[in-house]
Amino acid sequence: MTVERAAVLPVLPLKNSVLFPHLLMPLAVGRAASIAAIESALTSEDKSIFVVAQRNPEVDEPAQSDLFAAGTTAVIKRMERAEGGMRLIIQGIERAELVSLETGEAFLKAQLRFLPEPTDEGTEIEALQREVLQEASRIHSMVDPDAQLGLDQIMSQVSEVLHQVYLLASMLGLGLPQSQQLLEAPTRLAALQLIHSQLRHEAQVLELRQKIASQAQTEMGREQREYLLRQQMRAIQEELGEQSPEQADVSELRKRLAEADLPDEPRKEAARELGRLERLPTAAPDYQMTRAYLELILELPWRKHTEDKLDLPSARQILDEDHFDLKEVKERIIEQLAVLKLNPRAKAPILCFVGPPGVGKTSLGQSIARAVGRTFERMSLGGLHDEAELRGHRRTYIGAMPGRVIRAIRRAGVANPVLLLDEIDKVGADYRGDPAAALLEILDPAQNSTFHDNYLDLAFDLSKVMFITTANTLDTIPRALRDRMEILRLAGYTDEEKIEIAKRYLLPRQLREAGLTSEQLVISDEILARIIHRYTREAGLRELERMIGRIARKTAVRFAEGHAESVEVRPDDLSGILGPERFFEEQARRELPPGVAAGLAWTEAGGDVLYIEAALLPEQKGLTLTGQLGEVMQESAKTAQSYIWSRAAELGIDPKTVQQSGVHIHVPAGAIPKDGPSAGVTMATALASLYSGSPARSDTAMTGEITLTGLVMPVGGIKEKVLAARRAGIRRLILPKQNERDLDEIPEAVRNELEVLFAERIEEVLAAAVPDLGQRLGGSKTSYHATGDEARLVAKGN
Amino acid sequence: MPTAGECQRVAWRPAADIYRTRRGWLVKFDLAGVRPQEIELVASGRQLTVRGLRRDCTLEEGCRYHSLEISYNRFERTLELPCPLDAAQITTDYRDGMLLVQLEMENPEE
Repeated sequence: MTVERAAVLPVLPLKNSVLFPHLLMPLAVGRAASIAAIESALTSEDKSIFVVAQRNPEVDEPAQSDLFAAGTTAVIKRMERAEGGMRLIIQGIERAELVSLETGEAFLKAQLRFLPEPTDEGTEIEALQREVLQEASRIHSMVDPDAQLGLDQIMSQVSEVLHQVYLLASMLGLGLPQSQQLLEAPTRLAALQLIHSQLRHEAQVLELRQKIASQAQTEMGREQREYLLRQQMRAIQEELGEQSPEQADVSELRKRLAEADLPDEPRKEAARELGRLERLPTAAPDYQMTRAYLELILELPWRKHTEDKLDLPSARQILDEDHFDLKEVKERIIEQLAVLKLNPRAKAPILCFVGPPGVGKTSLGQSIARAVGRTFERMSLGGLHDEAELRGHRRTYIGAMPGRVIRAIRRAGVANPVLLLDEIDKVGADYRGDPAAALLEILDPAQNSTFHDNYLDLAFDLSKVMFITTANTLDTIPRALRDRMEILRLAGYTDEEKIEIAKRYLLPRQLREAGLTSEQLVISDEILARIIHRYTREAGLRELERMIGRIARKTAVRFAEGHAESVEVRPDDLSGILGPERFFEEQARRELPPGVAAGLAWTEAGGDVLYIEAALLPEQKGLTLTGQLGEVMQESAKTAQSYIWSRAAELGIDPKTVQQSGVHIHVPAGAIPKDGPSAGVTMATALASLYSGSPARSDTAMTGEITLTGLVMPVGGIKEKVLAARRAGIRRLILPKQNERDLDEIPEAVRNELEVLFAERIEEVLAAAVPDLGQRLGGSKTSYHATGDEARLVAKGN
Repeated sequence: MPTAGECQRVAWRPAADIYRTRRGWLVKFDLAGVRPQEIELVASGRQLTVRGLRRDCTLEEGCRYHSLEISYNRFERTLELPCPLDAAQITTDYRDGMLLVQLEMENPEE
């Protein structure tokens, strides 16, 4: 069609790109050969140059073999010199083929043959063209979705198919081999096919890239996605009727709540807390707290009661089985059962067992629970000094717990247990509040039907609880608290009682512990009495039980070693088993000098005999008191002194002695604190003996409070005192007249051993205690309780 | 008629102004530095095409380009006018580097 044209043009080798006809290309030229080629082109009339791509971009000074054959003629449209080179804009004109290269000058010159522009046509070309344009605009929108100018618009400016292809190729930034291939394409169809495959490839790469990018994005939003998935899972689980663990937790609680027998108020509160629990994430600290609270509400026995066994004979039998004697206490329990039988709504009494250690207060509580058929719970209040221990902490505090009372009820599992509050006399108080004040509420039948625990924060009915408290002494119990309780005294046991108890309970128990049978170890009453007298000095039975236990263990050793068949303990064996005797039976002093009198004291460990000693301090004044005497005891000493002084003449005492000398009263043992008014008569006796110079009877001990006018007032702890006197070997006692009825507590056998005198006035005491004074005071009356079976005989002293 | 191949070998397009005159049209092409004998003007239908070649001329021996902005080599520009040009009387004038093409119609209102 056209004549084959040829030309000779300077060559500009391109390292990495292909110039297409009709397209502009900006270039930076730095290579000397290239610059020389351009200089040469610039000097020409038409500024033409042959642009051809290098096969290998690494080569700096290419030879013909380094260049592709097909290139493009171009016109230099702009040129600017830049540092070390040029910046150009060249326009591709038409395709040409390198025929030969002239290398004579500083640059390459090429003999060219122009390649005709393909002009083939057909439907295939048209179809491919459309396909290519569509693919291209898809890619374009993928690469730059926000482009203002659509690819269609750009393409519509170019009419020639081949030019569109070239433009697309440059826009896509095809690689060098593909570009070169495209440039060399002999027909439009070939060019279109090429660009089409390239576009497809590019589209796939782009799609892959987008996928990777979106994957990365997804990765970043993983947590959020997880959350969403969880939500979905929950929805699915709900749909399927399945449950997540925490939901199971909540629904379990809900089920328990529905089944639980709760009063309205706790039910409402529990439902509210349960609703809160559902909304809380499991990890929240409040979750466990709320859950624990709910469990408490659900576990508390709001309406659960045990049926009381109201069978009086069997209750009596149980009480008798467990404890010897203690008639008064047992009677009281039976009374209560009788009341409950007639009036089931009767308020439970609050009993307080007071007595020395080891007399069985705590075990009596257990026994009562057994007799009545109630659950037994015990809490020790000893050393308690924090009110919150009883009442609990408010739930706002971390680690808050319900108080001990509510916890005990929870443990008991019923609303009417026997709750034993041990050692109520040992409750302390400090800046954290007074637990005794909280006990006031707990132990008041009028208030404790709505007991308020800080943790629970709901009223709980304690009125059905049978409270039993124990104490060693009433002195340290606040008055208000003492008023709320029914005091039952458990005095110490007599020797006979102890022997009985030892035979019935202690010995069998210790034999059991040691794995012995009753045939293998025999301890006679005589031995028991000896142990009680020589090895123990106590009101209770603990030491005795320990001693028996020791004997049982030593015996067990002998059996284990195969030394014996059966053992009967003999008196001589005792010191070998238990060591030397600790106490001596005869404690009473044989003779008393003037100024000494035997008194009877009550201690927490039972009774005791104490000698009050008085000494005259000539040429001194006043009254000196030693021996850790309490205020009341000091006052009673002063009262005694004043009384003796005021009655000096009647008692035949020289007033001068009284006036001119001071008195020192000492009560051994010096290190033990003592208090109380009951030593009044003893002090008066000691002083009278001192001033008169006549000794008191050594076989006589006394107790009683005195007044300034000489009246003898009743005192407490008679049983313990009497038993202590007997233990000490004193057989003659002077007691206040008004304490006469207390003698009923003392077993007949003991009573028969003793000579007990009852006095209404101090003169009677003095007459009975100090023989010399008795003669001087002739005519005073003394009630006389004689020994033996003579029962009561009122004797009149001379 | 130029071949398709020749059509493609264009390096630049000259700027053109079109005036409406009383008798017809005046088209002005910016063809500075183009020798008049190298300009070819064709009117066909409504189209007016100017093409040609701008050759650089060395002004002085031994000088070299410092920078280049003027386009050389082949040019072509086709304008479409609102009326057929076959009947038009065409006169050209090359003045001060501008090619002035007068197109005068018998009946300019048509």
